[in-house]
Amino acid sequence: MPANRDVALVAREVLEGAYVLLTFRHPEVAREARAGQFVMIKAGTSADPPLRRPFSILAVDPERETFSLFLKAVGAGSRALADLPPGGAAQCVGPLGRPFEPPSDGSEALMVAGGYGIAPFLLFVRELRRAGRTGRVFYGGRTVADLQVREPFTALGVSLVPATEDGSLGHRGRVTAPLEEYLDGGPGPATLYACGPDAMMRAVARVAERRGLPAQVSLDPWMGCGVGTCLGCVVRIQRPDEPQAKYRCACTEGPVFDAATVVWPGEAASLARRRAVEVKG
Amino acid sequence: MSLAVEIAGVRLKNPLIAASGTFGYGVEYEGLLDLSLLGGIVSKGLYMEPRDGCPTPRIVETPSGLLNAIGLQGVGAPAFVRDVLPRLARYDTAVFVNVCGDTVEEYAEVARVLAGAPGVAGLEINISCPNVKKGGMAFGGDPRMTHEVVAAVRKATRLPVIPKLSPNVADVALFARVCEEAGADAVSCINTLLGLVVDVEARRPKLAFGTGGLSGPAIRPVAVRMAWQAARAVKIPVIGIGGVSSAQDALEFLIVGCRAVQIGTANFVEPGVYARVLAGLEDYLGRHGLDDVNAVVGTLRFPGEGAEAGSEG
Repeated sequence: MPANRDVALVAREVLEGAYVLLTFRHPEVAREARAGQFVMIKAGTSADPPLRRPFSILAVDPERETFSLFLKAVGAGSRALADLPPGGAAQCVGPLGRPFEPPSDGSEALMVAGGYGIAPFLLFVRELRRAGRTGRVFYGGRTVADLQVREPFTALGVSLVPATEDGSLGHRGRVTAPLEEYLDGGPGPATLYACGPDAMMRAVARVAERRGLPAQVSLDPWMGCGVGTCLGCVVRIQRPDEPQAKYRCACTEGPVFDAATVVWPGEAASLARRRAVEVKG
Repeated sequence: MSLAVEIAGVRLKNPLIAASGTFGYGVEYEGLLDLSLLGGIVSKGLYMEPRDGCPTPRIVETPSGLLNAIGLQGVGAPAFVRDVLPRLARYDTAVFVNVCGDTVEEYAEVARVLAGAPGVAGLEINISCPNVKKGGMAFGGDPRMTHEVVAAVRKATRLPVIPKLSPNVADVALFARVCEEAGADAVSCINTLLGLVVDVEARRPKLAFGTGGLSGPAIRPVAVRMAWQAARAVKIPVIGIGGVSSAQDALEFLIVGCRAVQIGTANFVEPGVYARVLAGLEDYLGRHGLDDVNAVVGTLRFPGEGAEAGSEG
């Protein structure tokens, strides 16, 4: 069960490019969090900015009862968190939301991360390992400074394929290029997982559609409450049996959705619905 | 020490009520806090049918505030009665339902559906939502329509009828009086303030609906002023709403004459807000040697009025 707690910052590691690793003590999150779940957290009690912010849970330590976040200070809310001194107070509720579903038996997990979208995949590779499975991470960003969480993956023996738009690390260009290259090599069955900017997740969904692969995306709209009451974070989702798309809360019915059920901006129907109609027609 | 208050014949164990649109149907918060801590809950607005609401983006932060255009997405009154009310029955809190309609007839129809359901303490009449094209603020901004809606709901039910007033009018006291004349048992004051936030790069509104309703600490002084004006204008109880997140904030509304206070945007920020505000109210009463929260209601000493006026002479 998620719990609402006043928490204190246990550890803080400042990284290049406004990125920071923050560790807080929160027993429920540390014990129960699954990959893809998030917390709503806010530094201090100031009315400005008013709202908490959602962040994917990067790592947990059940023994110390702590969890860690990896975030980039991009606005007032994330900056206030990034600037917390050790021992600094925050308000935090979690773990929230639907986690990633593991790939079906025999299917390889191919994780595609953009920038801080890497966060949920560290827990995911640990879950896969515990189940005796493995996976592969494709990690993209503008420049090498956007790709800071690499060692924890390689330390777990997970192959990590970097891609940067400026070519400062790994493949030069979009992260979907090495993903497609790998898929062209004809591996076995695969399931795609994406977390990052909307354009990247949509590109991964297109790759999955073209190749007939299952895909899960972790959507990241503006959230007000995180528990399904403000209805601010809704996304258009359409399951195969639904004639009309429905607004569903990313916080409670997501953030992880089957990519085929997402109605992307400008589209009239989801892939899952179009397929269902084709079969019937 | 007593925190109990009475609104339209309904006894609340304390004056704190969760505001419509900020607490879902109540059950969403079941695991996070003890709902029996609350004096009452007002449900998300309900029409007869389920509603999709506005396109996205629906919310944007502002300085100490939140601008929203949700557009009353909801499950509809029959589903609420069937699926939610039985779950709320196990908590010791008063359940109010926020009633919406595209037409006067629909308000009355929703009221009848809820009047026949067990466990509803009263109806809050939504004549003030700024984010729908029909009903909502269009009714609450027109005294004649306000009268018509409130009178129609009054005829449809014996439950307490509590219109929620719009702040987007020149004279809120006039609307409070119209509600009282039409048979309302209390008024909630206020709904959100109509606002607009512009994305200057795109030169478009940040909300997909265009305008939205502003809530949060940013609106509190306006809300307190309007609640004060309404409370002076009518004999029925006024329930204050607008930017409450502390005992101090709640006390401002009580002191200007409100019998109860709704907590809205603060629910999103801090699900534990009720316990903190209740402790603060008890502390305040203790410091002022009072043993009943009702002793605070309407005790504002305004310059130029009452005892103050004499001292000026």
